[in-house]
Amino acid sequence: MRQKLVFALSVALVGGIIVSTRFHEVDIPVWRFFGGAGGVDPASLHLDGEFVESNLGTAREPDGSYTVRLLAQQYLFVPHCIEVPAGVPVRFRVTSSDNVHVINLSGTEGTVRAIPGTVTEANFKFPQAAEFDAPCREFCGPGHFAMRAHVRVVPQDQLANLRLDQRRSCDAP
Amino acid sequence: MTRPERPHRALLLVGLLCCGLPLLLRGSPADNDQPPVRVSSDVAWTHETVQLASNGDAFRGSLIGRQCAHCHGSEGFSSEPTIPNLAGVDRLSTWKQLEDFHSGKRSSPVMQPIALMLTAKDAADLAAYFSMLPTFPDPQDNRVFPQAMPDPVKSREAEKLIVFGDGHRGLPPCQACHGPVGYLKGAPSLATQNAHYLLSQLQHFSDGTRTNDINVVMRSIAKQLTQEEKAAISEYYGAGRGPSAGEAHPALP
Repeated sequence: MRQKLVFALSVALVGGIIVSTRFHEVDIPVWRFFGGAGGVDPASLHLDGEFVESNLGTAREPDGSYTVRLLAQQYLFVPHCIEVPAGVPVRFRVTSSDNVHVINLSGTEGTVRAIPGTVTEANFKFPQAAEFDAPCREFCGPGHFAMRAHVRVVPQDQLANLRLDQRRSCDAP
Repeated sequence: MTRPERPHRALLLVGLLCCGLPLLLRGSPADNDQPPVRVSSDVAWTHETVQLASNGDAFRGSLIGRQCAHCHGSEGFSSEPTIPNLAGVDRLSTWKQLEDFHSGKRSSPVMQPIALMLTAKDAADLAAYFSMLPTFPDPQDNRVFPQAMPDPVKSREAEKLIVFGDGHRGLPPCQACHGPVGYLKGAPSLATQNAHYLLSQLQHFSDGTRTNDINVVMRSIAKQLTQEEKAAISEYYGAGRGPSAGEAHPALP
């Protein structure tokens, strides 16, 4: 009886270790299954919803925080040049239109995973004005090595007069 | 003998259930303050759309396509530099452009009235027909494609962008979406396209005249290319040296 117990415990321990080392590879957090609808259709992102092209970029929220809506797709981030304010909470809402991409904010510790069909949210606070690249960190295809966005952190007063229905990015006009 | 009551356990269960409530109630942030919605193209590559666009009847397309021959050439190679070659262009991209002309998302005084007469099925048939035309033009004919090779410096610059892109600016290589290394639905093969048309389309994408690319892909790439790079890429593809052409064209100097 005691031997059986020890055996079962050791199997559970080894299994637990294997599962816990692979846990970071689970793309969709468990609470998404309880969170209800929140899915987006990757094929028709451009038709309606949150990720239509006119809604991408940095938006000012009524409470003074900022939201960046970003679309990762086959070898391009849109907007290509992201403008975010320094010193205030910035929330990234990211999705993908084809497969998994990861945007890596190279100046910080931050990475955001873009998963087709779901919207990933991440909160950041950039301490001071800076400029850095944001490459894709997950191999996504033959154009992966050239997939790179640019992040420009500007003083907050430059974005303070952004209207609520206005979106900002530092892409070429 | 009665079953002992265990109110504690029931309470615990209710408490656990209530823990999930905030997650259920937490919706996505309100989108009341969206700017006016701008839709680039009404085409979305859902399963049904791809099935419709890729299962055209090429024979029926060849009958409708007789009228296209006036401008696009009897074998899909036009004799005017402003008119695109259609031979060998894949079905999905021909179909998408016809649909965009139909819905007015891409504007052209010539193509819009023509596309208005076509149903989605007609467009799929035409797309099937043009995709089956041979991509090798007859060198005896007076065709726009292929054109003269650009000078070596230009063609090296073009090769670099087509094969590697520019990682520093975040420019993906052309061949990662236009073939033959990678493909994107709706991205046409460029190997048989004429140089003038390619250059004009790159310019239209960068100055915002043409906006029917899904998810701002080509607009954001074309805006970053310099004028010289656009010309180099167009001339390179226009010379039949594009990577999907396989062997270099025998008619080339």
